[in-house]
Amino acid sequence: MIFGGVHLRDEKNLTCDKPTEVPSAPSEVRISTRQSAGKSAIPCVEKGQKVKEGQLIAKADGAISSNVFASVAGEVKDIVKMPSAAGIEETFIVIASDGSGQTDYLAPLTDPSAQDIVQRIYDAGIVGMGGAGFPAAVKDAPKCKVDTLVLNGSECEPYLTCDHRLMVEHTDDIVRGARYIARALGGAGIVIGIEKNKPDCIAAFEQYDDVKVVMLAKRYPMGSEKHLIYSCTGRKVRIGKLPAEAGVIVHNVGTAYAVCQAVELGKPLYEREITVTGKAVKEPKNLWVKVGTSIKELVEYCGGEAVAPKKVVQGGPMTGVALADYDQYIYKTSDGILLMTADETDCLEPTPCLNCGKCADVCPMHLMPMQTAFYSSAGDFETAAKLGNTLSCIECGACEYVCPARRPLIQAIRKTKAAMRAKNDKEVKK
Amino acid sequence: MDNTVVISTPPHVKSRRTTKGIMLDVIIALAPAAIAGIVFFGWQALVIMVTSVLAAVAAEFVYYFIYNGGFTKKCVNAKKVCINWLKQFDYTSIVTGLILALIVPSTVNWYEVLIGAVFAILIVKMLFGGTGRNLVNPAAAGRVMMFLSFSLTAYVATNFEPISLDSELFTGATHLSGWLLGGESASGHMEWLDLFLGTGVAGCIGETCKLALIVGYIYLVVRKVIKWWQPLLYIVLSAFLSVCMAATVEGATFDISLMLDYALSGGLMFGAIFMATDYVTSPKGLYGQIVYYVLLAVLTSLLRFYTKIEVVSFVIMIMNLIVPLIDTYIVRKPFGYVKEKSKEGK
Repeated sequence: MIFGGVHLRDEKNLTCDKPTEVPSAPSEVRISTRQSAGKSAIPCVEKGQKVKEGQLIAKADGAISSNVFASVAGEVKDIVKMPSAAGIEETFIVIASDGSGQTDYLAPLTDPSAQDIVQRIYDAGIVGMGGAGFPAAVKDAPKCKVDTLVLNGSECEPYLTCDHRLMVEHTDDIVRGARYIARALGGAGIVIGIEKNKPDCIAAFEQYDDVKVVMLAKRYPMGSEKHLIYSCTGRKVRIGKLPAEAGVIVHNVGTAYAVCQAVELGKPLYEREITVTGKAVKEPKNLWVKVGTSIKELVEYCGGEAVAPKKVVQGGPMTGVALADYDQYIYKTSDGILLMTADETDCLEPTPCLNCGKCADVCPMHLMPMQTAFYSSAGDFETAAKLGNTLSCIECGACEYVCPARRPLIQAIRKTKAAMRAKNDKEVKK
Repeated sequence: MDNTVVISTPPHVKSRRTTKGIMLDVIIALAPAAIAGIVFFGWQALVIMVTSVLAAVAAEFVYYFIYNGGFTKKCVNAKKVCINWLKQFDYTSIVTGLILALIVPSTVNWYEVLIGAVFAILIVKMLFGGTGRNLVNPAAAGRVMMFLSFSLTAYVATNFEPISLDSELFTGATHLSGWLLGGESASGHMEWLDLFLGTGVAGCIGETCKLALIVGYIYLVVRKVIKWWQPLLYIVLSAFLSVCMAATVEGATFDISLMLDYALSGGLMFGAIFMATDYVTSPKGLYGQIVYYVLLAVLTSLLRFYTKIEVVSFVIMIMNLIVPLIDTYIVRKPFGYVKEKSKEGK
């Protein structure tokens, strides 16, 4: 292994053998129009309008944006602005279900051309399902020649098992979805990288002749795009460049599954697999949920709290967002809800930095997080970015995980990045 | 969910390692050397250790107490400040005090150690900002200060590796192991096993029993407090260079077997394992660390050769001072970095 990384306590056994359950449709959903990286979608329904399941309710605003669809059939009750978990104000479309379950899908495609597939991926509002939420259609129409499609089945975040269940339960759909994407890319070869703690997934994918399975070491952050590409193909993505320039495109297995459904059934992306887990929840489960379902409802479906949680996290424990309350709603990119006990999470106060260098040892990007933290705390963001190489940071959180002094490194890195971005913007204006 | 949930930036899971845990590991690793010191040098060694540790902790406490306003407003905050101090106490001053006690000879007076420990904590550590902010290793600086201030009373007589009054000792390789012994028994040949176990060797309290040091080294490596190659690089390289330099003396021959004598003698091993590897005062990146340990080895062997005194503390102090330079100029290249081709070349 050329890069650092950390071994994490896995905790996947809480849910990894539990088959996906489908909770009954919620009576009300709140769907944010900001479901992907880039711009928010623009609502195209009005208050009081009847919608069907799968109907377009907000249109993508440009290429780096994604269409948003109704996840239940019913009536648009309201369009409200409220802050998201990250504190950004977003527009939510509130739909009250009428229980009819009427659907309105796109037309299924048979034997589609490359262009048809890219168009369908865009129309169906498919985004990267791994968490970053980059619109998939942009990736699948690269400007350079791409010869390899890497499927990300590593699921290196602890606790989460949604990709694991998807890979076991929908192996064939994922492979067909991957074939469509590969066709869109002009006949790329398909490689899937799976961490070796999921032998059932590896065995499932080994049945396919056109899919090369790469067994990855169990190490965080194995699922980071650049490191996955390196582990699967031996190619390095240059700093500041896109993977496509190395001839590779990476998609999450969840994305491939969504593509398969969009092409074969015409079903747009408004449902996803999610793991509700942690030791503070009574029955940890893998669920197939509708976008816009409230987290409160899902926690209740899993039996509620076993003990009062110390931290509630939307997403994985290494990169997720800590929530202040349960009044948050599922996004296309939500992969987990964690209710963590005080024992699982760690809320110690930071102590002075020892300069032990463990953060640099584990950094998969070979950066110097302690330099960033040191100089940014003094307000010298330029030196912080220069010595720490902060702009190459993938914010995986490995450095803060190992820090014995509990320094808030990710916070320092984000602050530095924001300051440098603001400075660059200023310079461009000049 | 009640309102006791914590909100913070990710990651939400952390390793079990804390600063306190690491310092505790270092103390455990130092224990064999301390016990060996007591066995060899008796109660005097114990007195020195206790004095040094207590003085170090007390110095830190007093500084913290004054700095945080323990005395202001007729000591109203005194209790709170004490509790806060206990909360933030991370055992670093215990480590400093213990290391300082282990690198002085057992014949020093207790008040000398006390002054050394207070100097190490107050001047070298706390004045620079406390844990993690000191420029040089406090224990090394404390010992250097003691060496310069009280050298006549203790160091010349018992510290075996340094000071020779008889320059003949250094003229030939055959006598070389003699000077390792120190003044009185200069003519005898030191068995490497004696050097290794520390039996009958004059020296500093914690430095004589190499077996104990190696046990500590293995513990630190297993607990991943230090990297295994770091002390090894320093010890082996400096021993090798010492042998090379010894061979340059007229009439001497190149004798590789002397490497063991050099490696096992003096404070080299202790310094390499416990002092050079100090987190605060060593570089962070891999390349910086290699440069640091190589320079340490070169400086150690050079100074040992020319000054004829034990120099490990000095060398560590000198190298500590250039660590910020190393960290500034040896910046790691990020993953996927490709050297920019110059535009003129195209």
